[in-house]
Amino acid sequence: MNLLVATLAAPLATAAVGAVPGPRRPKEAVLLGGLAATLALSLATARRYLGGETPVAFGAALRVDGLSALVLVLTAFVGLLSGIYSVGYLERNERSGFVSPKQRTELAALVPAYLAAMLLVCVSNNLGVLWIAVEATTLASVFLVAFPNRDTSLEAAWKFLVLGSVGLAFALFGTVLLFAAGGGMLGESTSALDWTKFMAHARTLHPFTVKLAVVFLVIGYGTKAGLAPMHTWKPDAYREAPSPAGVLMAVGMMNCSLYALLRVHLVSRAALGPEFSGRLLLGLGLLSVLVATPFILVQWNLKRLLAYSSVEHVGIIAIGLGLGGEVAVFGALLHMTYHSFAKPVAFFSAGTLAQLHRSSDLDAIGRGTLGRTPVASGLLLLATLMVTGSPPFGLFWSEMTILRAGFAGPHLAAVAIFLAALVVLFCGFFYQVGRLTLGPDTRPADRPTAPERLDLAMGTTLGAAAIAVLSGFSLPGALLSLVHAAVRVVEGS
Amino acid sequence: MTQDFVILCAAGMLVSTYLMVGQKALVVAIRLYGVQSLLLGAVAAALGLVGHRPHLLVTAALTVVLKAALIPWFLLRVIDRAGIRREIQPYVNVPTSLLLCLGLTVVGYRVTLGVAAANTGVPHQIVGVALSMVLIGLFLMVTRRKAITQIIALLTVENAVFLAAVGATVGMPLVVELGISFDVILAVAVVGVLVGRILDRFESMDTSRLSNLRG
Repeated sequence: MNLLVATLAAPLATAAVGAVPGPRRPKEAVLLGGLAATLALSLATARRYLGGETPVAFGAALRVDGLSALVLVLTAFVGLLSGIYSVGYLERNERSGFVSPKQRTELAALVPAYLAAMLLVCVSNNLGVLWIAVEATTLASVFLVAFPNRDTSLEAAWKFLVLGSVGLAFALFGTVLLFAAGGGMLGESTSALDWTKFMAHARTLHPFTVKLAVVFLVIGYGTKAGLAPMHTWKPDAYREAPSPAGVLMAVGMMNCSLYALLRVHLVSRAALGPEFSGRLLLGLGLLSVLVATPFILVQWNLKRLLAYSSVEHVGIIAIGLGLGGEVAVFGALLHMTYHSFAKPVAFFSAGTLAQLHRSSDLDAIGRGTLGRTPVASGLLLLATLMVTGSPPFGLFWSEMTILRAGFAGPHLAAVAIFLAALVVLFCGFFYQVGRLTLGPDTRPADRPTAPERLDLAMGTTLGAAAIAVLSGFSLPGALLSLVHAAVRVVEGS
Repeated sequence: MTQDFVILCAAGMLVSTYLMVGQKALVVAIRLYGVQSLLLGAVAAALGLVGHRPHLLVTAALTVVLKAALIPWFLLRVIDRAGIRREIQPYVNVPTSLLLCLGLTVVGYRVTLGVAAANTGVPHQIVGVALSMVLIGLFLMVTRRKAITQIIALLTVENAVFLAAVGATVGMPLVVELGISFDVILAVAVVGVLVGRILDRFESMDTSRLSNLRG
């Protein structure tokens, strides 16, 4: 079988098996085995690309270039982490006594199904297939948001579904307009919507129609990426979704939506020049970073804090891509890579705190967690250091790369505002996490905390933390060449 | 001749959207959506027959079966189960809504003036109608409270996008259209499940009660 098809089939088969009720241990083995196989196949696909081949499937509807390979590997990695953590998460819930077989089946089916849809997004070469895949991710994740089945989780799922669907309707309208811009010259077969075909015919597309199409596409996929002002679903969805699903949304979905935005940006750049969509991305990115600032400062919930951090990071990457040029794009894609390693640590340690305290509200958890749950709190502090871009961790270097490129370019005012916002965000995030973890213990004595233990979920967090720290000091050579390959796709050299 | 017919149908779709804005009975809104889908099917069929594009006939058949019959039936069943008949007082009253929608139509037409009519022989009116419907659909979504109305508005937006796809281009590739239709069906099913859960929880479909999450 085609390697690329196998990469997509592995999580799909895992999801199908997961949906069938059955004995617990074998099902967990299937889930973890399937996700590990998915990562192995993704790595093999990327290796094949680095070896000089271009893996394709179904005509050229699916095609792996440098950008696809990078996002594919990162997404499959996060998928495996999330799968392992989900087993540990249920184990923990069971210890505290509430987990139904239905919830077990739901999580075992939805996590790999969501992953399969995301992998389809990042290998699709066809704008139609891309849209279908993004819609599939939305439908899979709605149930993950509704998973806790509380009043607030239904509310969050409803908001998420409505906003996501509006975004997707916009993206579809944009896709239709982009197709119309070809004026029938692209043909009528499925390959008419191929990204490679758009790139080849970019100069002959009708300019005004392309502009209108790009606006709709950027708003549409920007909604899925959580760029401000279309980010309002994010805090609610992140708060309600269980941590293993949250990390898939915060890292996997964000990377995949950025992939879609980049494809649109590249068509637009080839047809209209770099200014139009570049400025659009720069503007939305800057707005995202600015919008995140006040909400982080006044935040009352740990997981919502992470959501605004995610709005910040998608903004940073959009700024890097919008600035353009080899250095800035390299910084943006490096940022995406380091973020994919660092964010799971933040989600997992925050998830542990929330589970042990039975709430993710900062007040309900109470200050001084370092005394009660030293390991999880220590990991959360470490994750905060990484996510806020403190030296010597990876995100510091990628942010510096983007800033350096920015100050060398024409958008000085925008970059200055960006830098100022980064400093405020750094302080704000530290203020919140510092207040939570350090300081005197304020939790009432009549509400004891469940004891911390070294279980599977904690082991996953420790492993993820080790990977995140090490990657900051030396990124594996193959991964770095994937980042460079992705930069070449974007910069077209 | 065909062109006149197509434009007439598209205008009919726009009118049905206005009628949706203008009344409050949910059953009528669902039926209007059915009529609108039927007109969309007619547009696709007409363009398919005249232009000898058999895949547009498939699109037309799919549209009629799914969107004019299956989805309205499903939605009618949902409101029947919920025992809800009317939209409650919207955030913006009906006359003001209609006036605002008129403005949105003008905006839709103005913006699409610059869009090439491609070489299908269909003038830019179709894209203008489609963009107006997208904007009105969004307007309905933000000003109405019932979950079902919001979904009908979303489906209207989706119909508008399809109108643009068949009218302003030579029609999207069939495989893509099939995929999109499948996704729409799934989305409606997901909505059905979610509305069911909301009903069980809140004993109401009023989404303005979903307002605990702020900040």
